[in-house]
Amino acid sequence: MSLLQERLDEPLIREVLQTALSGGADFAELYAEHRRGRSLRLEDRRIEELTSSLDIGAGIRVSRGATTAYAYTNVLDRGALLEAARVAAAGARGPAGREVADLTRPQRRVEHPVRIDPFEADKQRLVELATRADTAARDLSADVRQVVATHLDATTDVLIANSEGRLVDDRRTRTRFAVQVIAARDGVVQTGFDGPGATAGHELFDAHPPEDVAGRAAGQAVAMLDSRPAPSGEMPVVLWRGDGGVLFHEACGHGLEADIVAKEASVYAGKRGERIGSDLLSGVDDATVQNGWGSFAFDDEGTPAQRTVLFDAGVLTDYMTDRKSSRRLGLTATGNGRRQSYAHLPIPRMTNSYILPGSGDPEEVIAGLDHGVLCKGLGGGQVNPATGDFVFGMTEAYLVEGGEVRHALRGANLVGNGPETLRRIDAVCSDFAQKQGICGKDGQGAPVAFGTPTLRIARITVGGTA
Amino acid sequence: MTVDEGPEALLELARRVVERARAGEQVEAFALRKVETEVEALRGEVDALSSAETRGVGVRVIVEGRQGYASTAVVNEVGLGEALTEARSNAVVATPDDANRLPTSQAPAEVGELVDSRLLDTPVEEKIRLALELERVATDDPRVRGVDIAKYGDVYVRAALASTEGLALTAARTDAWAFVMPLASDHDETQTGLGVTIGRSADELDVEAAGREGAQRAVRLLGATKPDSRRTAVVFDPYATASFLGVLARTLSAEAVLKGRSLFADRLGDQVAGEDLTLLDDGLLADGPATAPFDGEGVPQHTTALIQGGTLRSFLHNTWSALRFGEGASSTGNASRGSFTSSPGIAPTNLYLEPGPLDPARVLATAGEAVYVQDVAGLHSGANPISGDFSVGVTGLAVRGGELAEPFREATVASTIVELLRAITVVGDDLRFLPFHGALGGSTVLVAEMSVSGR
Repeated sequence: MSLLQERLDEPLIREVLQTALSGGADFAELYAEHRRGRSLRLEDRRIEELTSSLDIGAGIRVSRGATTAYAYTNVLDRGALLEAARVAAAGARGPAGREVADLTRPQRRVEHPVRIDPFEADKQRLVELATRADTAARDLSADVRQVVATHLDATTDVLIANSEGRLVDDRRTRTRFAVQVIAARDGVVQTGFDGPGATAGHELFDAHPPEDVAGRAAGQAVAMLDSRPAPSGEMPVVLWRGDGGVLFHEACGHGLEADIVAKEASVYAGKRGERIGSDLLSGVDDATVQNGWGSFAFDDEGTPAQRTVLFDAGVLTDYMTDRKSSRRLGLTATGNGRRQSYAHLPIPRMTNSYILPGSGDPEEVIAGLDHGVLCKGLGGGQVNPATGDFVFGMTEAYLVEGGEVRHALRGANLVGNGPETLRRIDAVCSDFAQKQGICGKDGQGAPVAFGTPTLRIARITVGGTA
Repeated sequence: MTVDEGPEALLELARRVVERARAGEQVEAFALRKVETEVEALRGEVDALSSAETRGVGVRVIVEGRQGYASTAVVNEVGLGEALTEARSNAVVATPDDANRLPTSQAPAEVGELVDSRLLDTPVEEKIRLALELERVATDDPRVRGVDIAKYGDVYVRAALASTEGLALTAARTDAWAFVMPLASDHDETQTGLGVTIGRSADELDVEAAGREGAQRAVRLLGATKPDSRRTAVVFDPYATASFLGVLARTLSAEAVLKGRSLFADRLGDQVAGEDLTLLDDGLLADGPATAPFDGEGVPQHTTALIQGGTLRSFLHNTWSALRFGEGASSTGNASRGSFTSSPGIAPTNLYLEPGPLDPARVLATAGEAVYVQDVAGLHSGANPISGDFSVGVTGLAVRGGELAEPFREATVASTIVELLRAITVVGDDLRFLPFHGALGGSTVLVAEMSVSGR
């Protein structure tokens, strides 16, 4: 039994929910969380620090009509919970009347089993993993100057109960190992990065040994040492498998999150059922991917995880919703209600968002490119959801001429517009790869994965420095 | 808002951890208590109201140069005991570093009162009124069809620090802010703008001005097109300038310098900017949002000229980086602490370019023909702190004959941080601080020439 279940028995949960409804709200919810995490950082061949954290807390959400009130505390006793429930209740007042329904547990449709519990690994093991990455990166090339390896693992127990009778508990164990490499030669400095993660334990290292992660990061940094300034102007760009995902996530995914749609602040608002992208484009958001970095069994409102089709052959089929935005738009909840912690209200978020593979051959796509750019790495970007305009930094890119991959390019951005870019996809290949990251929205971080096959965009602005 | 349970209660919590230190151990406990309120308005109603009270303790243990850290939100004997045990065992695996030392006790700086007691008495109804009024003013213009976000927020924070080196400090502050992002529309086109107001309490906020500012910034972008590529003078508005200072701050942290992550390594004493340019980190600035009597590890905050008259004079230091740096460096009072969950890092306090005499209109007049940048996108991914290269997306207006003219979008500006610093010819008198990314102050700034690429 988890600590939450010990502290929050059903009679107390009912009492808290009933108190939250007492001001006249038409919905009340309790979200409680217990999180244990560790992070280790190696830099400059030194284990700089190992940090442990223990967090516990609960938030009480009530809503009446369009208004939501929320109160949270990290004191998890009856008195503090009832006080928070009263504070929240006062924020959404109306004629009283609702009763808490009988609490029942919805069926669990998906499991993300943990084979090697992170907290059974002793601390010396974490040191060993990071040290192996450091050695592997430095062995790859004498140009490697600095290696930063970080290891994160955490187990979060959540308990969610609402006045409509839903009662859910879920345990999410996540492990991530990231390596950043700095390489330098003749005054040129470049960086490389790789950071796999999973909703799993230390079995992550079976698929991603530290040496492999370090090798990918160091390989990227070293390759970019030979880079030359990128050209500017509109040209075709091939996005190599995996890294195109961040562009899809930022430039398109965020605009399909239903809170932004409901505010009509999305360029995709009111376009459900319309052809938005090239007919080669099909995409999903899928929280059921087993052990996926963005996966869970239930979202942070207790809705079961599901796979949602966003685009089908270029037609916008669905938005990603949480409870509030689904009601506002008259849609069903797609299980995308997520929050960083008990200190945050749930909002619609992506989980694992993928563009699905097509039938093209990546080698042929490059061979068919007369003058353009092959992009094998995208850094973070920024998007204006209302206009769809975006900017992304390319962290690894190459010039392609006459179907041949030439030298690496540095200091270049991709600048464009979401819907326009989706229309301009003119090749989708049969390969696929994914990456993991922490997505930020409204000041909340959430683990998300993004994946794509190799894609070609017929025309997009490259903002280079040449 | 709940009344303070007394400054001594939190300090007592920190002291209780430190009392358990063993011989040969340095132990520091940092306790934090926060009371927060946020109100979001949408379509004339309260969309979300949030209130919270949280506390927690972070424990740092140093034994023979090995540092370990642990935090807990379980603030009782059991939770505090476990955090100390965990921090001890984390220290065991860390690599020893002689620079890992706790600072000795020093008298805190005199900074005046940082708590505006009016905030403690402000009823939630008034906070709701401010959020609703902010949205109403921002949507007054018929071309504004709604808001992406209209939000009021405030926080009361009390921090306490105790250590085996004799530290026993506590301080409290209040902050309030409101911001809006209106959506201006014309046919299929939508543009957004940002309007912000900050203060120590709700009473100090000017939501009317923030609402009007956000609307004006959104509306004036309607009809924006992609500009022609060219080399031109560029005027950054205060928001854009503050964004660039955020990138600059990362390269001026002594930690970045020590770890080979800064283009400014080995450049102390060099001319890195125009002779008139002075960049200050002023932890004592009257009314500065990051002003405080002591930093995240109890060192008094300072005023530090990072660049003076164009010459690089100093980096930002905490105790660790100053000891590591040697050469007579001492902490500049820039130990930062995002929350109780992390050990002290390095961050700027109130960071800004020393303002010049010209108001924004006269900066534009000086520029004559230029582009005026009001929004910068992709700065954090598009700027390389090591090489100083950056390429960012910019949105704004053309400047013709010294006046703002037609809008543009989807343009990029590429340069290097050093080239940018050298090319700044005028810093306006309109310094203001933004509540995002720490306390970055921006002014209207004229840059002699940059390359803008569009069509």
